[in-house]
Amino acid sequence: MKSVIATLLILLMGCSSSGEKKILVDTSAAQLVGHIESFKGDKPVLVNYWATWCVPCIEEFPYIMKLKEKYGEEFELIFVSGDFEEAKEEAKEFLKEQNVDFTTYYKTGKDNEFIQTVSESWSGALPYTVIYAKDGTVSTEWEGKAEYEQFESELQKVINEG
Amino acid sequence: MKTFKNIVSGLLVAILFTSLGFSQQMKELEIGSKAPMVDKKMKNVSGNEISLQDAAKENGLVVIFSCNTCPWVERWEDRYPMVSNIASENEVGMIALNPNEDYRDRGDGMDDMIKRAKKMNYDFPYTLDKDHEIADAFGATRTPHVYLFNADMKLVYVGAIDDNARDANSVDSFYLKDAIEQMTAGKKVTVPATKSLGCTIKRVS
Repeated sequence: MKSVIATLLILLMGCSSSGEKKILVDTSAAQLVGHIESFKGDKPVLVNYWATWCVPCIEEFPYIMKLKEKYGEEFELIFVSGDFEEAKEEAKEFLKEQNVDFTTYYKTGKDNEFIQTVSESWSGALPYTVIYAKDGTVSTEWEGKAEYEQFESELQKVINEG
Repeated sequence: MKTFKNIVSGLLVAILFTSLGFSQQMKELEIGSKAPMVDKKMKNVSGNEISLQDAAKENGLVVIFSCNTCPWVERWEDRYPMVSNIASENEVGMIALNPNEDYRDRGDGMDDMIKRAKKMNYDFPYTLDKDHEIADAFGATRTPHVYLFNADMKLVYVGAIDDNARDANSVDSFYLKDAIEQMTAGKKVTVPATKSLGCTIKRVS
């Protein structure tokens, strides 16, 4: 029930009053966890935590977008920005440059509580990627930059699990 | 033939994963553990060589894995002098280590460190953690990443300096300061571990 409410909240926040889809939406850790859980039993999820100040994040971002292009609806892609409040516009600009036309998320709240809530094993270093299998379990996770082949290889594992 | 190709491509991916630090999930030093590699000498910005043991004072040591190239460090760096003062007042040493071996030619070399220490008026040793050996032994993952050891060089606190990298004036929880004061007062550190965002340590394989 909680995850349904969190998902509804997050979907509502993804639309402006004019109905236009926002590409960067505030999220609390609890809302994010609920949103990720809402895909359990439906499809795998790749979550990438990034920031404009993080060079490796910027370098690997196009690889992840390429996966989205190639595998489409076979998995859910969730980007979460850890930018400072004053860099939110910069983050939006970057997302537009990368042709992001779907809702992505902006971390709100204190780091410690946010990180502890979304993952026990994440130390807080960016970039951080988690791939959840269709059954909602963590298939793999890593801190630091990865190459396209690595993302694809790990994603294929959960997609092929069916 | 197809099987052979699959094996080769699988191996290539495995090599890439390893060489690029994929799955950089380090095992972090646990609270209560002794500081490792305390006698290993490191080059300091002042020209001498110094170990963690050399930098420690009567009541312990603050170790900060830091660097010159991380915006997150830049945000927190204005609090390094405050940490240094509190540590000094409590007879606790302080040392910063730069573990970014992959960025030695991109802003994290010794010459850059010397400039940084001068510019920011570091009054504590800033040393080069060659091949991130000490960061690896600590299981450090990011910059800044802070460790506080007691008089027996046992870990009592690990994590962030405080809860607000963005603004020193808007801090609600002074994690490290509180830990130093509680430790030196002989009290249990109430929050022994915290997490914060930060830059990955730029390791080489």
